[in-house]
Amino acid sequence: MLWCFCAVLILSIVITCCSITVFTINQPDTATVGSTVPISVNFTYHNIYASTTENLVFGFLAPKGWAAAQNAKITYTSTAGNGKMVLMPSTTIEPQSSGLTWSAALLKKFGIGGNLVNDMEWVVYQSDVGFPLSNGEEITATLNISLKVGADNNNTLCKLGYVIAESNDGLHDVDGSIDGGAKYEYYAEQVTPCFMLTGGSGDIVDFCNPQLTSADPPKTLDNDFVTITFDGTVTPTALMGASKVYLCATANTSDGKTYTVCDQSAKTQFTQTVAGSNKYKITIWPRSYFGIADSQTIVNMNYFLTDATGNIKVGYGNTASPFTYTFKCN
Amino acid sequence: MTQFYKLSKPIVVLVVLALFSWTSCKVESIKPSAEAVKDISGNWTVIAATRNGTDLTTIVDFSQFKLSFNEGKYTLINKLPFLVSQNGTYSLDDPQYPFQINFTPTGNKAVSTAFTYPIVNGVRQLTLTFSPGCPNNTYVYTFQKAN
Repeated sequence: MLWCFCAVLILSIVITCCSITVFTINQPDTATVGSTVPISVNFTYHNIYASTTENLVFGFLAPKGWAAAQNAKITYTSTAGNGKMVLMPSTTIEPQSSGLTWSAALLKKFGIGGNLVNDMEWVVYQSDVGFPLSNGEEITATLNISLKVGADNNNTLCKLGYVIAESNDGLHDVDGSIDGGAKYEYYAEQVTPCFMLTGGSGDIVDFCNPQLTSADPPKTLDNDFVTITFDGTVTPTALMGASKVYLCATANTSDGKTYTVCDQSAKTQFTQTVAGSNKYKITIWPRSYFGIADSQTIVNMNYFLTDATGNIKVGYGNTASPFTYTFKCN
Repeated sequence: MTQFYKLSKPIVVLVVLALFSWTSCKVESIKPSAEAVKDISGNWTVIAATRNGTDLTTIVDFSQFKLSFNEGKYTLINKLPFLVSQNGTYSLDDPQYPFQINFTPTGNKAVSTAFTYPIVNGVRQLTLTFSPGCPNNTYVYTFQKAN
């Protein structure tokens, strides 16, 4: 009997659940680089089991180049009170992820929200104060986000992600708990359709649609190793089924000089990831690849993909224009 | 009286043995041996490399790249992206318990990076972490002494 009493007591202390029953996002579909975009996130937060003090946690998935931590201001209004969201300390551990920080835990659980370029980040906020919630209490809240978009000046297509949780349960998986006849959810996640940012003078960065070529890492300088992937399955090209594909590239340096490497040799040859896959990769160290002097810096690189003869060339969007890659970190 | 003598004889023997054993013991002062100075001189080659966690070892030819340490100077042989791109001098933050290594390219400022020097399968390794290009791109090179 005492054992049962203790178990119930412990359970009532440990289990401090909430369920997010309504979760809607009002976000524009387009914006111009440098503008401030208003986004509102509405949700209803239902607490069951024991009462405790909890902070609202909000995770926002955005391109790293937007520097959302510096460029987003978030306030909340709710039936429990109003205030502002503050950045989660970078060392705060998400309670369900075995020592991962909140940002790392969101990345592990939700990835990059279906975006195709691994240059997104989860920026995490929490409410400035915690709220003592009673058993069965329901809070309706709105997050008002004011986000200056496109700090990197790039025209961008991307999917933005939103996660609502609370500080005690974190990203707790669904268990046997039932709330109102439905499985009890400890957090809620949404990724919105592709958002388009225009008007920038930088590169076009498309996180939403498969690209013929992509670079890994997405942002590099000429002293990094850059891996260029050609995905011939995205659209039929003149190189469909080619056993050998080569890089034909021209580097432009900051002192106005150009260096072209366009032979068909072992140096320029892509490696097919799997035979017959029509996916090819090449990794280069640009400084050495183009043979620039120590005093020079490569600003960008224009390139085509060629066959073994060099006569068949595939360019950006399967056109006669070259692909462009700019060496920069932001 | 006789009975007492019979009983006490083994006790006397034990006491004598105990006295012998006690006097035979001598407390030695134990001095910890000094930690050896970490000598990294020699030519080192890359046996493993990652970029942001992605293995580069099999997709980049590291076989010709060597990092040579000799009498406080380092030399880059057949350069690849590295913490520094010019030859110069080096130093460890602590010769016995180093956690950082400092490279000072000739004519340039010193740069330092985390330094680990484990023994793996009986062989010394040298692991350096650095960003030669964008700060967000992290490379880890694991070196082993060249034969």
